[in-house]
Amino acid sequence: MTRGSATVFIVDDDAGVLKALTRLIGVHGYQTQSFISPREFLALHDGTLPGCAVFDVSMPDLDGLALQEALSTPGAQRPVIFITGQGDVPTSVRAMKAGAIDFLTKPISDEDLLSAIARAIDQDDADRRNRTELASIEARLATLTPREREVLGHVVAGRLNKQIAGDLGTVEKTIKVHRGRMMEKMGVRAVADLVRMAERAGIPLPQR
Amino acid sequence: MTRSNGGIRVVVLCARALLGAAVVLCSPFPAFTSSAHADERAQRVLILHAYNYTFPATSMAADGARERLLQRSPKKIELDAEYLDLVRFSEPGHEQLMANFLRERYAQRRPDVVLAVSGEALPFVIKHRDAFAPGVPVVFIGISREAYASSPPPPDVTGHLVDPESNFSETLALAEGLQPDARRLFVIAGAAPTDRRWQTTARTVIDSRARKFEMTYLFELPYDQLLAEVSRIPSDAIVIALTVLRDGAGKPFVAADVASKIANTSKAPVYYPYISAVGKGVVGGYSETFDSMGRAAADIMLEILGGKDPATIPPRTNPETGYRVDYRALQRWNLSESNLPPGTVILNKPPSIWEEHRNLVLAALAVFALQTAFVAALLMQRHRRRRAELLLKESEERMTVTAASANIGLWQFNPESQELWATEHCRTLFGLERNVPLTRDSFLKAIHPEDRELAISALRSAASGGRPSVQDVRVVQPEGSIRWVRVRAQAHPGGGADPGQLSGIFVDLTDQKTAESEAALQRQEVAHLMRVSVLGELSGAIAHEINQPLTAILSNAQTALYLLARDSPDLAEIREALIDIVHEDNRAGQVIQRLRGLLKKGEKSFEEIDVNELIKSTRSLLNSELIARGVSLETELENSLPATFGDPVQLQQILLNLLMNAMDAMSATPAAERLIMVSTRSAPGGGIEVLVRDRGPGLRPEEEARVFEPFYTTKERGLGLGLTICTTILQAHSGKLSLTNGDAAGAVAVLTLPAQEMLIAAQ
Repeated sequence: MTRGSATVFIVDDDAGVLKALTRLIGVHGYQTQSFISPREFLALHDGTLPGCAVFDVSMPDLDGLALQEALSTPGAQRPVIFITGQGDVPTSVRAMKAGAIDFLTKPISDEDLLSAIARAIDQDDADRRNRTELASIEARLATLTPREREVLGHVVAGRLNKQIAGDLGTVEKTIKVHRGRMMEKMGVRAVADLVRMAERAGIPLPQR
Repeated sequence: MTRSNGGIRVVVLCARALLGAAVVLCSPFPAFTSSAHADERAQRVLILHAYNYTFPATSMAADGARERLLQRSPKKIELDAEYLDLVRFSEPGHEQLMANFLRERYAQRRPDVVLAVSGEALPFVIKHRDAFAPGVPVVFIGISREAYASSPPPPDVTGHLVDPESNFSETLALAEGLQPDARRLFVIAGAAPTDRRWQTTARTVIDSRARKFEMTYLFELPYDQLLAEVSRIPSDAIVIALTVLRDGAGKPFVAADVASKIANTSKAPVYYPYISAVGKGVVGGYSETFDSMGRAAADIMLEILGGKDPATIPPRTNPETGYRVDYRALQRWNLSESNLPPGTVILNKPPSIWEEHRNLVLAALAVFALQTAFVAALLMQRHRRRRAELLLKESEERMTVTAASANIGLWQFNPESQELWATEHCRTLFGLERNVPLTRDSFLKAIHPEDRELAISALRSAASGGRPSVQDVRVVQPEGSIRWVRVRAQAHPGGGADPGQLSGIFVDLTDQKTAESEAALQRQEVAHLMRVSVLGELSGAIAHEINQPLTAILSNAQTALYLLARDSPDLAEIREALIDIVHEDNRAGQVIQRLRGLLKKGEKSFEEIDVNELIKSTRSLLNSELIARGVSLETELENSLPATFGDPVQLQQILLNLLMNAMDAMSATPAAERLIMVSTRSAPGGGIEVLVRDRGPGLRPEEEARVFEPFYTTKERGLGLGLTICTTILQAHSGKLSLTNGDAAGAVAVLTLPAQEMLIAAQ
C-alpha cells in the first residue's frame, strides 16, 4: 500500500495543533482529513477509506478513548494513534489495551509520529486484506447447500469419502459428487487449502 | 498669644494715629498752616461733594486730590470741603439752601479753584457758582464723557472724564473671561439720574455686542424686591451691579453698600465697575480707584493754580483705569486667576495685604487697641470681670493643652474677616515654623497639593451646609515626610444673613493610617498567596495551555525543516508554517502573561475593565482544567454592559475562585450534567452583575449562613479564605458578593460591581 492512497484522520479540539499536525502529516505524503470536534468526525468519517486515525485524548464532550471505541464497530475499523498533553499511565494503558498503535505525549517529535503512522497504515492494510479475504471465504461458504456444508466439515476433519458416506448413511459415490461440487464452489483443489480457509472462517473442526 | 506682648507698642502707635484721625474728622480739611506768611497767601481749594460724608468713594477721591496737592504744590494750599448731599435731599429748596450756605460761609474765604466731585455736583456748581465763587475755575471728576458731551459746561470748567461705556463693557469682558460657561446675564441699576445713565449705557453696550446672553435687567426695583430677585439668580449666571443711589421706591442708598449687599445675597459672582465695593464681596470690575481720580483732578488744579488758563486745558480721562478684582472673591467663587485679563490688579491677595492696606490695617489695629484699652480700663475697675476673664483664659488654656496632648489642634475661622485663630499645636501638626503666621493660606499651603482641593471643598461645604464635614488630608512636613491630618469643620451660623464662624479640629491620623496601610499590605500578601495556591492547583492545566502552542510550534518547525531539505522546497508552504509558528508563539506568550498578571504582587492598579473580556480571559486560563474535570462552561454575556473600574488581577482572582468553587462543587455530579453557567447583565441601579451557577449539591442551610466566615470551608482540603478574600477585594471595589441556592439544583454566586460613572462620582 502506498502512502498516497492512505488517509490520516486527525481530531484535536485545539485549532493550532490540529492545523500543524495536518500540515506535518500532509507534507509527508499522506491524505489528511482533520476535525476540530469528535462529533464532527463521527458524522463525517468514511470507514471504507484506508488509513489510520490520530486522536487527542482530552477533548470536551467526547474524549479520544470514546472515539476509539466508536471505531471498533464493523465498517468503521482503523488503527488509532493517541496524542495527549497530560499523558497519565491509566489512560495510556486503557488505550493500548483497546488496540492503540501508540500513545504520544505533546509536544510530539515528527519521527515518533510518522513512524507510528507508518505502522498504523501497515496494520490497517493488513487488517483490510484480512477482512477482504474472510469476506470472500464467507461469500463462497454461503453458496453451499446444507449437504455440501456437512460434507465440508467431514473433509476438513480429514475423513475419507467411505467414512463420510457411513456417517451420513449414504453411498460413497454420492459423497464424491457432493465433495467435487463443494471443492469447486470453494475454489480449491487441495484439501490443505480448504482446511486453511475453514480455519480463517472459524469453522470448528469436528471432534474425533 | 502674640497679641499680648505686642499690645503696648500698638497702643502707643494707635494713640497717635487716633489723634491724627480725630483732627481730620473734626474739621474736614482745616487750614494746614494757621501761620501763613503774609507775602505768600495760601491758595484755596474748595471741594464740593455731591453726596454726604458716608459716601466713601468721594471721600477717597478727595483724599487722593488732597495728598497730591500738598505734595506737589509749590505754594501753601488750604483745603475746604463741603458735602452737598444732593441725592438724599432732593427737594427743590435744598439746592438753593446749600448755595446760600456756601455764599455766607465762603464770602471771606474765596477759593482759587473749586473741585466738583461726581456727576451730581457739577450742575450744581455751574448753576450756583456766581453765588459763592464767581469767576473761579472749576475742576470736575467723575463726569461721564456722554454727560459732558450732552451739555458742555462753560470754558473755564474742565476736569477728568470717565467713560462708563468702556467701564461697563470691560467689566462684562472680565466676567466673561472668568465665567466662560455663563449663559445668563443679570444687570442691576437703581433709579437715580446716575443709575439711569448706567441703565442706558448697559443696554447700549449689551445690544451692540456679538455674544448674546439670556438677559435680565433688574432696574429701578424697590430695595427689598431687588434683594429678593437677586437671591433667586442661578449660580451659573453673571451679575453686573451698577449704581443704586436711589431705589425704585425713591429711597436713597450708598451705591457701594448696595453692591456689597447684592454680592453677599447672590448665588452667582457679582461684578461692579467701581473700586468702592471691591473687598466687600464683589469680584471686581473695570474701574478706577477713587484716589487716582482725585490725583488726576489735583494735577489739573495744579496747572490752574500755577496760572494756566482753564479754557486751554481740555478734559482728560484717567490713565489709571483698569481691571481690579478681589482675591478673596475669586477664591470664594472658585474663579481662576489664570482667566483674568493681562494687567489685572488683584487686591487683597494675602502676601500683599500689608503693603497695599498698611493704613487700613493700622487703623484696624488702632480700633482693636482702643477696644483693648477700654476693656482693660473696665477690668481694672471691675475686679470680678478680670477674674472671669482669667478663668476663661485658664479654661481656654486647659482646653488647648488637653487638646494638644490628645494630638488635636483646635481652630476657628471667620470667613467675613478671613481671620483665623488656631492653637499652637496646629503648628506642630502642619509643620509650620514659628515665624509663619497662622492663616488660612499658610495651612492650605502645608497640605499636599493633591489634597488641597479636597480640604478647600470640605471647608466650603461645612460653611454652606449646616452639617459638619470631615476630610483626611496629607500634610507635607518641612523635612518632606507625610503626616495624615483629619480636618473636621462645622459652621456656627451667626444672626440673620451673617455667614457666621467656622470652627473645628485637626486630628493627627498618621499612626492610624500607617496601621491601615500595613493591614492592607498584609491583606494583599494573603490575597497573593491565595492566588498562588489556586494556580498551584491549576498547574497541570496551565502547563497544558502552554503545551498546546508549543506542540503546534514544534510540528510546524519540523514541517518547515522537512520541506527545506527537499530538492525544490515549497516556499509558500514553509512560509505558512512560519507564520503559524509566530502566531502560536504569541498565544503561548499570552498565557504566560495572564499567569504573570495573577502572580503579580503589590499595589492594586485601578483601570477601566470590560467584565465580559475578563470572563473570557479567565475561561482561557481554566480551559484545560474544565476539560480534565469534564465540566462544560457556558456563557451568556450581555453585550452592552457598562464598564467598571477596578484592579483586573484582583477581579480575575474572584472569578477564578468562583469558577474553581463551582467545579469543586460538581465533583459528585454525573459527568454529563457538569455545567457551569456564567452570565452577565446590567443590574438595576446601573451596576453590573455576574452570575456563576453550578449543578452541584447546593448549600446546606448551615453552610449558607457561614460560607463568608474566614476559615470556614466546605471542602476537604480548603483553607476557608477564598470567599473572605473575595469579599475584601470587592469592598475595595464598592461591590458585593452573595451565594445562595439556585432555582434548580446547585448554588449561584452573584457578584455585583458598580458601573464606572458611579465610582468616579464617588471619588
